[in-house]
Amino acid sequence: MVLLMDRPTETSAFERHVVPELDVLYRTARSLTRNNADAEDLVQETLLRAYRAIDRFDGRYPRAWLLTIMRNANINRVRKKTPDLLDDPDATFERSAEFADHADPEALVVEPVFDAVVEAAFEALPAMFHDVVELVDVNGLAYAEAAEILGIPVGTVMSRLHRARKRIRDHLTTAEVDVDTPSYRARLTKGS
Amino acid sequence: MLKLFKRKPGGLSCGEVMEVLQSYLDGEIDAETAGKVTSHLDLCVDCDLEAGVYDRIRSSLATRTEPVDAGVLRSLESFSERLMNGEIDTNGVDND
Repeated sequence: MVLLMDRPTETSAFERHVVPELDVLYRTARSLTRNNADAEDLVQETLLRAYRAIDRFDGRYPRAWLLTIMRNANINRVRKKTPDLLDDPDATFERSAEFADHADPEALVVEPVFDAVVEAAFEALPAMFHDVVELVDVNGLAYAEAAEILGIPVGTVMSRLHRARKRIRDHLTTAEVDVDTPSYRARLTKGS
Repeated sequence: MLKLFKRKPGGLSCGEVMEVLQSYLDGEIDAETAGKVTSHLDLCVDCDLEAGVYDRIRSSLATRTEPVDAGVLRSLESFSERLMNGEIDTNGVDND
């Protein structure tokens, strides 16, 4: 545990605003890079940039601030790796994810179990949908936080997320999975 | 589908509920609209079933969350600590 006393102001601010976000930063970096080693490198690069800029940070919305830094660091990382990429950050993100649309649609019907169909449908999503679902549904980011890291408007996050879930829902229909879920309201009331 | 034109449980039509349902499940709509959606779902079996399916999809996807390896977290904490102690040269950071 680090003691706050005798630290310069910037160091205290870094410890207060940045260190508590390490877990979220690493999960997000893993979504961006699809690779544990690259994810750790990306978080370290984000931490370096954040440390240098902490004296200019006003202390509001540290997660959003850090996600913006991470997005820029990732764009730079991908550019260095593959210099021929276009400058569109959205395209850069999608290509950086190195996601292949490889799932076999017929395989979706074979196992009519809810989670298995959801899993297969999720993996079959095109990258722009897959990435938003991974950030929001899997990693638990808010819409605004996902928008920050992807560099797109919140409305676009919402639209992609909803369309992606609709696709997953359509796979469930195709696979004739029993979707009756009588107990969800109790859980929703308890959980959120 | 006839009910779309006849009833507005909670003050919202089924179509209106479907437009905001996923934001509702994510807790990303205002309290007033959320209250209307809840009232609608209490009275509309079809929309309630649909809400249940989407909620289950969200829950299913959430179970894919992989825990962050404790070693990685320790390594990042240690990196942060070295940064704060001035043990890492930050001058070479590329900010473009």
